[in-house]
Amino acid sequence: MSRVVVIGAGLAGLVAANRLAAGGAKVVLLSKGLGGLQLGQGTIDVFGYAPERVSNPIRTVQALPGTHPYTRVGATNLLAGLAYLKELVPDLLVGDPEANYQLPTAVGAIRPTCLAQPSMVAGNLGAGDRVVIVGLRQLKDFHPQLVAENLARTDLPSGGRAKVRHLLVDFPAREGEIDSSALTYARAFDDPGVRERFARAFIGELESDEIVGLPAVLGVSDPNAWRHVAEKLGHPVFEIPLPPPSVPGIRLNEALTASAKAAGVRFVPGTRVFDFRASDRRVGSVTIAVEPAGREFAADAFVLAGGGFESGALELDSHGRVRETLFGLPLEGADAVPLIHGDYWGGEQPLFTVGVRVGSDLKPLDASGKPVYDNLWAAGGIIAGSAGWAEKCGDGIALASAMAAADSILKELS
Amino acid sequence: MRKLAVDVVVIGGGSTGAGVVRDVAMRGYSTVLVERADLGQGTTGRFHGLLHSGGRYVVSDPLSATECAQENAILSRIQAGAIETTGGYFVCCPGDDPAFADKFLAGAAATGVPAREVSVGEALRNEPRLNPGITRAIEVQDGTVDGWQLVWGAANSARHYGAEILTYHAVTKIDTADGAVTAVHCTDLKRGEDVVIETGFVLNCGGPWAGQIAAMAGAHPVDVVPGRGIMIAMNHRLVNRVVNRCIYPADGDILVPVHTVSIIGTTDVKVDDPDHLAIEPDEVQQMLDAGEVLIPGFRNSRALHAWAGARPLIKDNRVAAADTRHMSRGMAVIDHTERDGLDGMLTIGGGKLTTYRLMAEHIVDAMCDKLGEKRACRTAEEDMPPSGAGKNYVVTHRLEEREHDRFTEQIICECELMSRKMLTDALAAQPNGSFDDLRRQLRLGMGPCQGGFCSMRATGIALETGHIDIERATALLRLFLKNRWLGLWPILYGDQVRQTALDNWIFAGTLDVEHLPPPDPSVRPEPEIEKKTPVAAVMEAGVRS
Repeated sequence: MSRVVVIGAGLAGLVAANRLAAGGAKVVLLSKGLGGLQLGQGTIDVFGYAPERVSNPIRTVQALPGTHPYTRVGATNLLAGLAYLKELVPDLLVGDPEANYQLPTAVGAIRPTCLAQPSMVAGNLGAGDRVVIVGLRQLKDFHPQLVAENLARTDLPSGGRAKVRHLLVDFPAREGEIDSSALTYARAFDDPGVRERFARAFIGELESDEIVGLPAVLGVSDPNAWRHVAEKLGHPVFEIPLPPPSVPGIRLNEALTASAKAAGVRFVPGTRVFDFRASDRRVGSVTIAVEPAGREFAADAFVLAGGGFESGALELDSHGRVRETLFGLPLEGADAVPLIHGDYWGGEQPLFTVGVRVGSDLKPLDASGKPVYDNLWAAGGIIAGSAGWAEKCGDGIALASAMAAADSILKELS
Repeated sequence: MRKLAVDVVVIGGGSTGAGVVRDVAMRGYSTVLVERADLGQGTTGRFHGLLHSGGRYVVSDPLSATECAQENAILSRIQAGAIETTGGYFVCCPGDDPAFADKFLAGAAATGVPAREVSVGEALRNEPRLNPGITRAIEVQDGTVDGWQLVWGAANSARHYGAEILTYHAVTKIDTADGAVTAVHCTDLKRGEDVVIETGFVLNCGGPWAGQIAAMAGAHPVDVVPGRGIMIAMNHRLVNRVVNRCIYPADGDILVPVHTVSIIGTTDVKVDDPDHLAIEPDEVQQMLDAGEVLIPGFRNSRALHAWAGARPLIKDNRVAAADTRHMSRGMAVIDHTERDGLDGMLTIGGGKLTTYRLMAEHIVDAMCDKLGEKRACRTAEEDMPPSGAGKNYVVTHRLEEREHDRFTEQIICECELMSRKMLTDALAAQPNGSFDDLRRQLRLGMGPCQGGFCSMRATGIALETGHIDIERATALLRLFLKNRWLGLWPILYGDQVRQTALDNWIFAGTLDVEHLPPPDPSVRPEPEIEKKTPVAAVMEAGVRS
């Protein structure tokens, strides 16, 4: 049985681990933290802005110029990845690669995304829709007036505007607590009794035909918590993602982790991978930082899916040098001038597009275009070309590259 | 148009102007302070936070040393809440001449600056991050001061004595008749309204901008030579005392623990325009190298934010050399009667924040002399509410407050432990304020996340208070993010890149702030925001040329 080490527990690492284990490999997933899913919005972006708002993401990906990371990973892998992910977490993701949802954010902007959680899709508004945004007085990361009033003055991508008002409900997550996190609320909402009390707290203030927008805290373990709330209110309900910790992201993370574990993936979380051994252009092992001298994990193949700057996989030092912190891989875009510019609204910072260059089989390449190591693959945010935040494409790149890397590994090792 | 009439108009809302307006008001004159931006938005808010013990000047400038030591003791008493009595060390680093410490101790004794040599072992025990190679250490009474609290304390004290403080009032014209000042014209930038203040006396406390103001009264050009200094805040207190290098004063020789951060400073480069202060990459490197000498491994700690300030140096050959009665060290008073044949105006330049009260005393004495009146200065005798009289600031004060109100108050900024009530109180006091105005009073967005989590909360809460509408709330959010970035990008490396990646993920990725409806000027013009942007943005931290 072939041994594969996956480094990183974000979307790329979890999808690759699932795919590899399902394909018969013996997989160990090493991660320092919890992975990036709980930092994001908990949906799957494919392409949101190019730079105009995108309605058909897969068609946009197919028409991209050669420098974009999608052109390395390919639309076929992307489509396969989207289908695979929906199979892995059938309760959590719905949607169509041919049509973006346009969903409200926690400041009231309308954000395109490809696959969304079922609890969110009633937020894909049409002209004339009557909406009430409901906030919780004890939750500081969601301000319903801000969401409602920005939403009300926004032209909907499909045309027209919605009629939006707001409501603030006094509903502590725990008795006597004034400052509760989204996760505290989400755990409370896993309890059906809490959901019923919550619905009773403001059902009298709803007007007929109103769609109810709520912060994305409606349960973390129970994927049907939002349905229960909607049923008790007798109104359609949608969740709006908050800044981290992201409850929808945690749901995806937990579901993908559970499926990977069920497929036999072994998780070694909480420890940074800091060293490796290689010879003859092959990585032999990586070492995690545990006392006294580290612990080595040998394998036949390695997937680097540790993300970018946000996780420490890429680093910029005080002298302006960028490096990939584990393997010291060659980087693309690191010599851009300037790397960082002073205009906050002046477009993506070149620094955040720096990453490793990969071939179509997702192996990191050196300057001459040859794989740096014959058994090292890369997936997700470490790949050069786009930070993903502005274009809303990071999830799709992670997904497609993880699929491509996993399939390439399974093919080579068989 | 709004009309006012007062005895004295004070122009400039930095420490000098605030100290002067307090002194003028306490001596019983009716007075107005006008400032084109927020109080303490110029040089006063752009320094390293050091309240001098006088140690820095015991060798180079003995009279300054004595003034600093005396004023340090007075301010620590009358503005206790704005000042942390950290204490300080002067240390001889490897390569520095240890004999300078002997000159230092002799100078300290001669100038009345309290100083005591301590063993290297004691210094390293108290400040374990200090360079273990230091050869000597001298303990002094340096403190740290919040410049914004200092100016607001003085301004509020002045208000108590009847003064009016007009921020966001830009002076447009100074009227004269028969060789004397008669009125000051301003524009209220928040309301777009003209304000005329009839007066017989103007005290020009414009600091680096004093020359531009003097020119409005038709005075001969005043040669102001702004000296730019950059500072970098590191994300926590690398030291708990001020640490100075025991050398002749030079660039990058001070590390100052202020609030939750420590600040390395500074450089001194002559610039032409105080509104355009660059933060040059080579100066950033110079500061990091200087930090490395004091604290080995300095480069590996996290730099949060950089800014530049302009020293208000006046080099004016028309200043009568003999007239030093009314001057503090490093300070220049220009008497426009002798110089320009213009009565009723004095221009003040130079000076130090530590001696701002003394400078004000001298200037107002000079004004009283010109007016032929005897009115005594009482500014050293009276505490300034609410921060005076009582405990000095300690870095844990907000933690203590939050422990008391944790069941009733949300924490809106975790980095700086700012509660919701602190924010709503400040909003009520300054309903037209920008988030940067609030930041200067509350430290909103000044911690490690640099606004990553608190900006959206502050926007939502500001809207909920009813002081502003959705368009302005959204515009303020955009402006705040833009202004924070100005001080971030010149020093962006290491862990702050990780933070920035997370912040971008939140604002661009999750919230999609960029695709909020754009401001629609035809529907509701936002003159104060639009006008403020070029000034505030540049002054906030400087731009690279």
